[in-house]
Amino acid sequence: MRTLKRLLEPGSLTLLLLAGSATRALAQDTAMAGAGLSGQSLRPYAFVFVAYALAWLLVLGWVVAIARRMGRLERRLGR
Amino acid sequence: MPSKRLQTTGTVLAVLGALGTVALHWMVFFWTPTEATMGVIQRIFYIHVPSAWVAFFAFGVVALCSAVYLWLGDERLDQAASSAAEGGMVFTTIVLLTGPLWGRIAWGTYWTWEPRLTLTLLLWFIYLGYFLVRASTDNPERGKRFSAVVGIAGALDIPLIHLSVVWFRSLHPTPVVMKPEGPTLHPDMLVTLMVGLLSFTLLFLGLFLHRYTLAAATHLVAVRERRAQA
Repeated sequence: MRTLKRLLEPGSLTLLLLAGSATRALAQDTAMAGAGLSGQSLRPYAFVFVAYALAWLLVLGWVVAIARRMGRLERRLGR
Repeated sequence: MPSKRLQTTGTVLAVLGALGTVALHWMVFFWTPTEATMGVIQRIFYIHVPSAWVAFFAFGVVALCSAVYLWLGDERLDQAASSAAEGGMVFTTIVLLTGPLWGRIAWGTYWTWEPRLTLTLLLWFIYLGYFLVRASTDNPERGKRFSAVVGIAGALDIPLIHLSVVWFRSLHPTPVVMKPEGPTLHPDMLVTLMVGLLSFTLLFLGLFLHRYTLAAATHLVAVRERRAQA
């Protein structure tokens, strides 16, 4: 548990830093892109992150499904 | 296991695809400029379009393998078709989930029954039918043949999806890359899109090879078990 915490702490810190700098970079870009965008709320950022997260969840889901079925087959072969 | 080499190739391709996707994420969030009209939400484009491309490619593989399977009756072609269909379903689901998120901000609605969206949803249901047909017959061979027909018929929807924005009045943006006069995207955006297309294709090919190996191994085990019982 302690090892997991030790691993997670720098990981989450890196993620926070990445998310922070990404948001800052996007905000700078948005500010430069034109007056029409300056009024945008943070909602589009959330939607973009949700879209990317959903895509990765689905791909990972497929990977896990293949690995589980392969494991089941190997157990069947073992019997 | 039928082919260790196929699995190794699959792993190499999937890892290359995953590394490419890490590069894609960096490009999307730190390098590519923000689109002037739609703003930040346009960045969904870099996973939405590659997912659509991979889905179409996968269903193309399904149609091709299914047609040759109906002709030659080679079991491996059916295994390749069903493996590609599974990947196609995953990537079509990504398209159908990311598109509405984009639409909510760009159009003010998650969903509208316009031609491209409707035809893409239809494509998803056709290939869902592909798996249902396979599972619904008592005779597995007949199920494979029926599903091969569905796999071929389903692919006919792909050119319709592509051309629907040109043929009908549509809310969906028209193509910005595959145009007769050439791409009209900003060069940085085009490079990012290309990295996305390449990464997603490699990722799909890698996972497809693993899925195909699994299908082939399952078939072999089933055949051996049947022989042992006889």
